[in-house]
Amino acid sequence: MRILIVEDEPALQSQLVETVSEAGFIAESASDGEEGLFQGREYPYDLAVVDLGLPKLSGIEVIRQWRSAGKDLPVLILTARGRWQEKVEGLEAGADDYMVKPFSPEELLARIRALLRRSSGWSQSQLECGPVLLDLTAQTVQVEGTPIEVTAYEYRILEFLMLHTGEVISKVDLTEHIYHQDFDRDSNVIEVLVGRLRKKIDPQNKHKPIETLRGRGYRFALARTAG
Amino acid sequence: MSLSRRLLLSATLVLFIFLGLTGLVLDRAFYHSAEQAVRGRLQGQVYSLLAAADFNELEKRIQVTEPLPDPKLSSPQSGLYAGIYTRSGQSVWKSGSSLGMNLPRYSHAAMADWYYEQLTDDDDRSYSSVSFAVSWEDQQDARFQFNFQVLEDNKLFEQQVGQFRNELWGWLIGVTLVLLMTQGVILRWSLKPLREVALDLDRVKSGDMQRLSENYPEEIRGLTGGINTFIDSERSQRDRYRHTLADLAHSLKTPLAVLKAGINRKPQEDQDIDGLQDQVDRMKQIVDYQLQRASASGRATMGVHSPLLRNVERLTDSLQKVHAGKGIVCRLDIDAVLTFPGEEGDLLELMGNLLENAYKWAAGHIRVSAQMRVIGQTKILQISVEDDGKGIPEEQRQLVLQRGKRADETVSGHGIGLSVVQEIVSVYGGRFDITDSQSLGGAQMIIEIPSA
Repeated sequence: MRILIVEDEPALQSQLVETVSEAGFIAESASDGEEGLFQGREYPYDLAVVDLGLPKLSGIEVIRQWRSAGKDLPVLILTARGRWQEKVEGLEAGADDYMVKPFSPEELLARIRALLRRSSGWSQSQLECGPVLLDLTAQTVQVEGTPIEVTAYEYRILEFLMLHTGEVISKVDLTEHIYHQDFDRDSNVIEVLVGRLRKKIDPQNKHKPIETLRGRGYRFALARTAG
Repeated sequence: MSLSRRLLLSATLVLFIFLGLTGLVLDRAFYHSAEQAVRGRLQGQVYSLLAAADFNELEKRIQVTEPLPDPKLSSPQSGLYAGIYTRSGQSVWKSGSSLGMNLPRYSHAAMADWYYEQLTDDDDRSYSSVSFAVSWEDQQDARFQFNFQVLEDNKLFEQQVGQFRNELWGWLIGVTLVLLMTQGVILRWSLKPLREVALDLDRVKSGDMQRLSENYPEEIRGLTGGINTFIDSERSQRDRYRHTLADLAHSLKTPLAVLKAGINRKPQEDQDIDGLQDQVDRMKQIVDYQLQRASASGRATMGVHSPLLRNVERLTDSLQKVHAGKGIVCRLDIDAVLTFPGEEGDLLELMGNLLENAYKWAAGHIRVSAQMRVIGQTKILQISVEDDGKGIPEEQRQLVLQRGKRADETVSGHGIGLSVVQEIVSVYGGRFDITDSQSLGGAQMIIEIPSA
């Protein structure tokens, strides 16, 4: 999951990037409104955290322009003063949630996860498809009730595929949402990771959770059970 | 120009025009009737002269039996004179009063016709004159015409008119002065409340009085009421700032003290640093709370109204988005014509905090209703926000409703938001109450805001 953080205060920006990265997301940052607007428009982020008080272009304006450019990524706004007028204007401009500074890292992550989940149509933080259960908060995977050890990248791939259950995800999409933008897209690391994941969650090859569609990408094939 | 000067000036002007015209009309009327009286008198004198005169047929001349009934005709230079002339204008008789006078002759005399005129003698004295011609016949049917003339010295008439004028204008000026004085007194008396307001305002300024009294005439009670509202809101604002500052200083002192002590001990271990971090967090929270309170410092600005329904809809749309996963149904029973008597920012802050609280605790349903209640002279906007959550326990309600709570004492969960609501409601002179919702079973927040 790739997250854009638009915040002009350097200390807070690096803190946010750190918090979000530590939680297993890919965090990229922008320091003013114009930069944020450009990055959000050009790259496929899964979510953006936008401070309202930005230099050059206000946060509200950034969100408004993303929306009118057809970008529907979930947006979380940060406000310093916490006036309702500001929150309402932000939400009316197209944001999906707000947070008032100061906030704890846990709260920020909870909001980010909730937004990601909601934007993919899941209402609970445990995604269950057949025997596979993925806990977004704990970042754990279980198959038929047994915890499975997965690496960070394997988890990210499974998370992305399960959040988009039934959708065809190209290798490029997957790379973009799992790695930083400077990652070498030609490598076959995704195929390797998907292969390892298949072995871990379906060692007997009986559920076939991840389908490969030749030339098009991957699809998480098990239907949602709950959430 | 001062109000009393304006009023006095206009009243004086009106008075002068009115009384001046009255004087002129009365003067004209009197003059005409005096003139009429002079004519009547002169005619009477002619009649009495005719009665006293007789035609002697033998001598073909006029004989006047003296003394004449009016003694003024007999005493010399009395001002009333008479004369009889032949048709050709030869004087045949003169009254005793005209002895030694050279009286002006009539200019025209016709048979049985009164002829009036103003005449002047050689000494420039003016007279009112009436002339009348009579003819007698003798036995041979010959006619003898005689012209009668009676004159009155105009001095008499002028004296009369002059005296009347003096009296008339004397009275009119007297009446004018009395009326103006009365007017002045009435003005002073009527404008006294305004002077009192100014004096009272001075007293308020110097601190001798808290606010203007309520005992003004109803015409200016609106004004003084407005001033009082202003004074009160200014004062409560000032009090609030003072409280806020004191609260802020007090609540920052404790963490500062802990920090100071902690730094003096030169923290080495993570645990110590965490302890200091806690204090920093606490200070941040305090500052944040006070900032939020300050930003919510709505002013009861007179005349500003914000549409209620539209702003509540903006908030519920926003909150619906934020709490999308919860599937909450929010029902609004608000008449679109209702307005909040204050600025939009305050309304959003007020309803935002109430609704956020409701969305946080509701299980599935929220109901917002509003109505304008009229109690006597005052209108009160009542807004209620109900949810079907588990409600707020009695002891927490009291904590939430207590004003001026220090930031470090606010109740978690319901804390800051509802304190801010309480704060704004009190700025608007309203009431904030928490009860159980009858229809939904959770908490019900009721605010009442007086509306002009």
